Amino acid sequence: MRNVRFVLVLAVLLVAVSIGVASAQDPVTLRVWSGASSPVENEFKEAQFAAFQEANPNIVLDVLISPDYGTQIQAAFAAGDYPEVFTVGQFDFPSYVDSGLLMPAGDRIVDADDIYPSLQSAFSDADGNAYCVPKDFSTLALYYNIDHFEAAGVEAPTADWTWDDMTAAAQAITDAGIVVNDIPVLGLSAAADRNRWMAFFWANGGRLFNDADEIVFDSEEAVASLDFYANFVTSGIGAVPADLGGAGWNGEAFGRGYAGMTVEGNWAIGYLNNDFPDLNWGVAELPTAPSGNKGTLTFTECWAVSSLSAEDPAVADAAWALVNFLTGPEQAAATGDQGFGPMPARASAADSWLTAQGDAGMPFVAGADYAWAPVFPIGYGDFTTAVDEGTVDVMTGAATAADAMAEAGEIAREIQAEG
Amino acid sequence: MAQSTSQAITAGKAVQTQQNAKLEESLAGWTFMLPAAAILLLFMIVPLLVAGYFSLTDWNGRTPLTNANAYELVGLRNYQQLLVDGRRVSDFYNALKNTMYYALGVVPTQTALALVLAVIVNQKWMKFRGFFRTAYYFPSITSSIVVSMIFLFMFSATGPINGLISAIFPSYDPITWLSDNRGVIHNFLGLFSLNADSFPFLRDTELFRIPLWEWLSGPSVSMATIMVLAIWTTIGTMMVIYLAALQNIPGQVYEAAFVDGATNWQAFRHITVPLLAPTTFFVITLGLIGTFQVFDQIYVLRNDTTRDSVMSVAYLVYDYAFGSLNDPRMDRATATAITLFIIIFVATIIQRRVTGGDQAK
Repeated sequence: MRNVRFVLVLAVLLVAVSIGVASAQDPVTLRVWSGASSPVENEFKEAQFAAFQEANPNIVLDVLISPDYGTQIQAAFAAGDYPEVFTVGQFDFPSYVDSGLLMPAGDRIVDADDIYPSLQSAFSDADGNAYCVPKDFSTLALYYNIDHFEAAGVEAPTADWTWDDMTAAAQAITDAGIVVNDIPVLGLSAAADRNRWMAFFWANGGRLFNDADEIVFDSEEAVASLDFYANFVTSGIGAVPADLGGAGWNGEAFGRGYAGMTVEGNWAIGYLNNDFPDLNWGVAELPTAPSGNKGTLTFTECWAVSSLSAEDPAVADAAWALVNFLTGPEQAAATGDQGFGPMPARASAADSWLTAQGDAGMPFVAGADYAWAPVFPIGYGDFTTAVDEGTVDVMTGAATAADAMAEAGEIAREIQAEG
Repeated sequence: MAQSTSQAITAGKAVQTQQNAKLEESLAGWTFMLPAAAILLLFMIVPLLVAGYFSLTDWNGRTPLTNANAYELVGLRNYQQLLVDGRRVSDFYNALKNTMYYALGVVPTQTALALVLAVIVNQKWMKFRGFFRTAYYFPSITSSIVVSMIFLFMFSATGPINGLISAIFPSYDPITWLSDNRGVIHNFLGLFSLNADSFPFLRDTELFRIPLWEWLSGPSVSMATIMVLAIWTTIGTMMVIYLAALQNIPGQVYEAAFVDGATNWQAFRHITVPLLAPTTFFVITLGLIGTFQVFDQIYVLRNDTTRDSVMSVAYLVYDYAFGSLNDPRMDRATATAITLFIIIFVATIIQRRVTGGDQAK
């Protein structure tokens, strides 16, 4: 009996040692996961991995680009067996940090000063520790239909437009009585989406917390911003995309010519060019709020190294080498050259993106300076649900902006009180 | 004495052989059942128990379970927040309301239509029976995602459905079927200029933070469109089940009835329907369970405008677990799932009593 046990222990030790020896000699394998996007973007990612692979023969990449990425990686996290390197969206970031899934960056990020501060701060915790490296981003700007503006006799939007100018233009376009495919053209396609109107919220000085950490979500300026946005729909000078010829989203309603303006991100540039080559359109920065400030929203994604990698220095080094390669100045410029949509996260690469996009890209790059990543703290899920429902209620006229925002603010206060 | 002992022994042996035979039989039975039982245990019972366990924790669904502090047991807190005094109890009751309207609309309609269709395609005089059977069954074997996409196109503002209605009624103001969250009962009352203010009591009385007036909204127009879709896709399956049962009814029964002078309608009413009662129970049960679990159609057809008006309980489970990126709540999702399980269980038992399914063999 004792002999058997001895042999067993010996066998286990042997296996362990041989694995240890093997791993010391074998190349490091990194599992790399990311969500699938457009075919062009997926191909670009594959090309990036191939380039890294060639330069680093001792690091093997096991790549998964999945269309059902979010659910898949959540299952991997729960099981405690997740990839070494993966992409993280801004909305997921707070809970990933809270769950201890990410390895802090420390001072491993190369040329960190070059990355837009608003993006890096979206991927840092409350104490300012960076966890992952932004790869690219998008901002919102105002798309306008040049033909409709001319037909209505309205000057094209400029960077010093105000909210009132925007409302007046929407009114004029609606009143001009333009008809496309039997559908009367309205001033604005306005999705009932918190991630659109909160650009105006931010511009007008709306915040969730003030400096004293009190909830000020339902402040006067904040309510004014939702009022301004919802007014387009409730007063009939704009509509949600579904009511504009049954469009699936702002881009489609605008592309089909059913709306004079819309608020969308730079991802719509490629869509409009491909699907509506005849459309005569331009882009301007979002108008200045009554507060005198500009504001827009940004949506960004980063490459992260998992906390599991931190346990093995060789793996951690390899993982950070990959992340720095993917987000470094060279690949940022390559992202810009591709011009498939998102802007590179580095200021130094903005020109390459602008060259690829032409004039239409300017307002989006300009937005990087005053953009906000609209992410709320972890635990505020009930609050965001209330905001989403409130948005629909206000835009269908079932509630006033003041009531809806007061209700959401009340919920935020409850959550804050519970800690 | 000796005789009786030997008798007792013989009897004992007989009992033993009988017991052996019984044992062997049950052993064989269990062996045959083993694959099915193992699959049931592994993929149904175990996950159910695990979900039940996590519904008593505060696990967010992301923190690795290998971490020591991944979750804490919190008792029935999730259920309490979901059903009793959470700040968003209306989420659950709104989803439950939608799901109940959905089930109430879909189950009786699809059962009745399936029976009628089955009787029709079962007629011997009917030509192209094979074609019609295939045609009615076809939607059932098509992916529900694909069917939903087709509906998305058909019922869009400029789609064929609106086109058809406009062609017939030129004054028709096109409805965006799938982005309309007004309740159909509210719309109906609206025809008589009745609205919330006509019923101050209903408007001002709240049940689980939802005004009674809202409880009585009926399914939203979008939900009603999804109900049409559901009826259209499941009707084929139910028809096939009815068809199989119809063909089991012996022809002599009908012959006897007709000799006695029964009309076609009487034969249908007094022979077909009663003899199909066990099948009807089965079809209704399947329908109830299916409707209470409605998810994929809603996943495809829900949009920014229709958010809560098409929210079903099963979708709410998904939404809690994966929908809220900055606040995933696997604990609440599992509590919702277990609650849904209990609701379906109770609904099936009630339905069994009502339809007399418990007497059905």
